[in-house]
Amino acid sequence: MSRTESDAGARPNVQFRQVGKPLTRTDAPGKVTGRTPYAGDYVMPNTLHMRVLRADVASARLTRLDVSKARALKGVACVLTAADMPDRTSATDIPGQTGQKRLDTDQPILVKDRVRYFGEPLALIAAETRDIADHAAELIEFELEPIPGVYDPLEALKPGAALVYGADNIVAERKIRKGDIEAGFAEADLVIENTYKTPFQEHAFLEPEVGLAWVDENDVVNIRVSTQVIEHFRPIADAIGVPHNKVRVRGALVGGGFGGKEDLTVEVYLALLAKHTGRPVRLEYSREDSFVGHGKRHPFVLTYRTGVTNEGKITAMDVQMIADAGAYVFLSPYVVLYALVAAPGPYRVDNLNVFARAVATNNMYTSAFRGFGALQACAAYEQQMDEIAGTLGIDRLELRRRNFLKTGEPMSTGFVPPSAIWTEQCAEQAWAALGEPAPVQGPIRTGRGLACYQQSYGRLTFLHDTSEAWVGVEMDGTVVVRSGVTDIGAGQISALGQIAVEVLGVTLDNVVIYNSDSAVTPLAGTTTATRALYMTGNAAKQAAETLRARLVERAAREFGVEAGDVDMAFNEVFVIDRPEKTMPLVNLVRICAAEGIHRSELAIFRAPFGDFLDPETGQGQAHPDYAYGAHAVEVSVDVETGEVEVLKSIAAHDVGQCINPAAVEGQIQGGAQNGQGYALSEEMLYEEGRLVTPSFSEYLMPTAMDMPRVECIILESRSGVGPFGAKGIGEPAMTAVAPAIANAVADAIGVRVFEMPITPERVVRALQQRDAS
Amino acid sequence: MYAPFELDIPTDLPGALAALANGAGETVLPIAGGTNLIVDIRARRERPDRMVGLGEVDELKGMEFGPERIAIGGRTTVSDLLRAPEIAREAPALIDAARLFGGLMVRNTGTVAGNIASGSPAADLVPPLLTLDAELTLASANATRTMALDDYYLGYKEDARTPDELITRIAWPRLPANAVNSFYKLARRKGDAITVTGVAVTLAAADGRCTRARIALCSVAPVVFRARQAEALLEGRALTPALIDEAAAEAAAAARPIDDIRASADYRRHTALALTRRLVGQAWDRLA
Ligand SMILES: Cc1cc2nc3c(=O)[nH]c(=O)nc-3n(C[C@H](O)[C@H](O)[C@H](O)COP(=O)(O)OP(=O)(O)OC[C@H]3O[C@@H](n4cnc5c(N)ncnc54)[C@H](O)[C@@H]3O)c2cc1C
Repeated sequence: MSRTESDAGARPNVQFRQVGKPLTRTDAPGKVTGRTPYAGDYVMPNTLHMRVLRADVASARLTRLDVSKARALKGVACVLTAADMPDRTSATDIPGQTGQKRLDTDQPILVKDRVRYFGEPLALIAAETRDIADHAAELIEFELEPIPGVYDPLEALKPGAALVYGADNIVAERKIRKGDIEAGFAEADLVIENTYKTPFQEHAFLEPEVGLAWVDENDVVNIRVSTQVIEHFRPIADAIGVPHNKVRVRGALVGGGFGGKEDLTVEVYLALLAKHTGRPVRLEYSREDSFVGHGKRHPFVLTYRTGVTNEGKITAMDVQMIADAGAYVFLSPYVVLYALVAAPGPYRVDNLNVFARAVATNNMYTSAFRGFGALQACAAYEQQMDEIAGTLGIDRLELRRRNFLKTGEPMSTGFVPPSAIWTEQCAEQAWAALGEPAPVQGPIRTGRGLACYQQSYGRLTFLHDTSEAWVGVEMDGTVVVRSGVTDIGAGQISALGQIAVEVLGVTLDNVVIYNSDSAVTPLAGTTTATRALYMTGNAAKQAAETLRARLVERAAREFGVEAGDVDMAFNEVFVIDRPEKTMPLVNLVRICAAEGIHRSELAIFRAPFGDFLDPETGQGQAHPDYAYGAHAVEVSVDVETGEVEVLKSIAAHDVGQCINPAAVEGQIQGGAQNGQGYALSEEMLYEEGRLVTPSFSEYLMPTAMDMPRVECIILESRSGVGPFGAKGIGEPAMTAVAPAIANAVADAIGVRVFEMPITPERVVRALQQRDAS
Repeated sequence: MYAPFELDIPTDLPGALAALANGAGETVLPIAGGTNLIVDIRARRERPDRMVGLGEVDELKGMEFGPERIAIGGRTTVSDLLRAPEIAREAPALIDAARLFGGLMVRNTGTVAGNIASGSPAADLVPPLLTLDAELTLASANATRTMALDDYYLGYKEDARTPDELITRIAWPRLPANAVNSFYKLARRKGDAITVTGVAVTLAAADGRCTRARIALCSVAPVVFRARQAEALLEGRALTPALIDEAAAEAAAAARPIDDIRASADYRRHTALALTRRLVGQAWDRLA
């Protein structure tokens, strides 16, 4: 790992004591020693065990559902079907604070009459043991009368296509109309058009969905669950028909999210059965349940038509995107919005048309996944850049250099990102780090690829995102942080601790963080959209700074100096450059306590609030800010078998300010693996909507044997809108990996595979087609 | 959910064979590592009434390295193979297969006899053993017999073993002096993946001629098989690229692959040819 610090244009370096150091994360010891309980580890006496019965075809009418035998089975406490509940739906439109909802497309909690996707839930069972619940599921009789479905978004757009719901299958349409596209193409010496396809992807978190729910003495439904979003307590309450203050979601440390635990998963089922039985209920998905139980990454078909001059300057770009939304809406409208905004990538394109659509099919519904549409756009625009470079005969990095969006320039939506744009620095460093090329041997060819990206961090500004954090100093000088933020394994809460102790001048082992409880920790919003550090980090910093100002003010009086002369570090409060004027923090805290000076602070951070983008032109501010970086790889390709091996994988990201470099590197390593699987080996195959790769023996993520050493180059422009100038790395770490690999494969074999994953068979077929023509 | 079953845990071979023998009216299955069987039970492809655990049967463990022959017990695990330097010398193809076999947990518990008896067309240890001319010892409570591994498979998941028999030993002759033995596993990823096309080759040479050719393929037909016509083309001749091409085409023609989620039949045929050509070519280069 290497780090490059700020140079011209960025804010000056600051002396940090805690931030920017690879400290042992606060959550590490518990995880390493196995003491950390995950949501599935919580037990309660008298618990019932749940099972969800699912449809085994993708498009059908439910003509009969008879649960009488299951109900009669000894040990079965409750079986619920749609007939047992009012017409309630469970919406995961936009989680959190906006309250937007589209009733006609929300998913019914249980199938009433129409099955729209394979695995749609038919009935919920609670029994004394899991075995009894499984047995009960077998006793449920149901008949599904097939209805013709539609399984390809392009087919779904055709007149006369089977309707998934509504009047047509269009879930969302977004546009950008910027500059003068005709003039732009007229200016071009060359127009290049290609269509790229990206696949479904499974989140494949280590910890499948799991939760435990019970009704407490105040009639509050408590749900201990593995989730990225505790603020689903509101839609859960709506779904089961109780007031919002009667549902409490208590998270736990999460064994991976990646967007797959952004929507509701098991919560509503748990809440319903806890309510119905009055007993604690537990639901744990098997891996197979998990494969059919949550939404996937949207497959996209992206057509890029790019006008360029002979010198390689892009004059116009027309982009058509179609995303498979699957059978229900979920976050599709927002995913295509992200794809729309990201369409030109980190390049300056003044004449731009983008048309992005999400289309309903009877495939598994698709929703959030790390990169959220912007990643699919990158998969296409970066392959298109290489196609342009190849056609013009311009070096691939040089072509990019001639088009990079620079700091202070307007992006696709006309918005000028407030931070520094260091794409070029990242690209150069990643490319250079590839070093000497590996030798070519017989049928084994080698090739290199580069991809650059632009990825937002923070949620859409029209969502008016806020986040709260509370910071307090105890009587002995130890620090407590409270914030509702969920920690999905990336070190979210540890970063809050690191920020708070930086400001308060104590060390990380002196902080305890309470998080992820919708009733008692200040609500912090979701851990999604690369927003947790940006939003909650800013809130924690704000709270800590206000508190610090109060403490320092009191200390200054004690020392008889100005507040500006006082500093706090390593649990001491002192006058700068006067070593004799010092006192332990604990003494200062006692003085404050004796005088009733408030030793805690609750802060709210508000992201920039914006309006929706102009519906016709797509112009406006979509996000608070953007992150930029690059990924470079070298691959070998066996031209006889089509096998691809990634030999070198190098990431260079401007993270703004690293809070914990070890955690940043963790994200980058994981992103490199996640993106490599997406590019090469992970494949979800559906036959008429039925998943035929429902386990890890068919769905293949890269193993340690498939991964090269991943080199991480961390750049710090200190220009971001997060705490201390931080940007974000959760999603960005993955965005450019797959197109870099695709470009390297094309470089190695001289022909492009336009559809991911680039399987050995697709490589062989591309070579055969080239040889045949 | 598992259907209930009885589990016997005999502590010696006669006990195990007796336990398998008195299974009138029930489905009785031996279980070694369980890395196939437990998966099958969970998926309800197998519903044994009783299982006979082989974990405590020491007679099924161990390896013997005789002057002419090598023999290993049926309960030898994949990791046992990897830990034996003699196997690396005497059966390099077996090591090629073992190194890319499952993940560490599966290698530590999965056994050679289990791999053979599973009858899977994708059993990775079988092509190497076929190219080594391996022979199986099958024992039941009343009889013991030996048979060539090559005669063991009768059809898709059909074999010559009777339900009361155990594969107790796998034995093969030491490789001749000037010989190469190798295996290539082509899969959709390197670690822990089911083979898409697997090819094993043994080639021996003397005086510039090929004195022995063995070619075996997995995952490209209902059973793992030897490409006898390809072998016959090579034996007794000095190999040329054209001859190797021809043999590889023979091997691919003998394949009867299917389309499945991992690959198409066409791709399997294509790679069966390419890999046979490559392995035979490389072996011949090393022998020359
Ligand atoms: C995650 C995973 C990865 C895998 N990867 C691979 C791989 O890369 N390559 C590969 O080839 N296989 C692979 N397998 C399959 C399996 O691990 C192997 O086939 C293994 O060798 C089976 O051995 P076992 O001892 O576990 O057999 P078991 O599951 O115990 O038994 C398998 C069958 O053989 C029978 N049997 C067992 N022992 C004997 C005996 N001594 N005599 C007669 N019959 C017997 C059983 O009754 C059963 O029918 C994998 C399996 C898993 C779960």
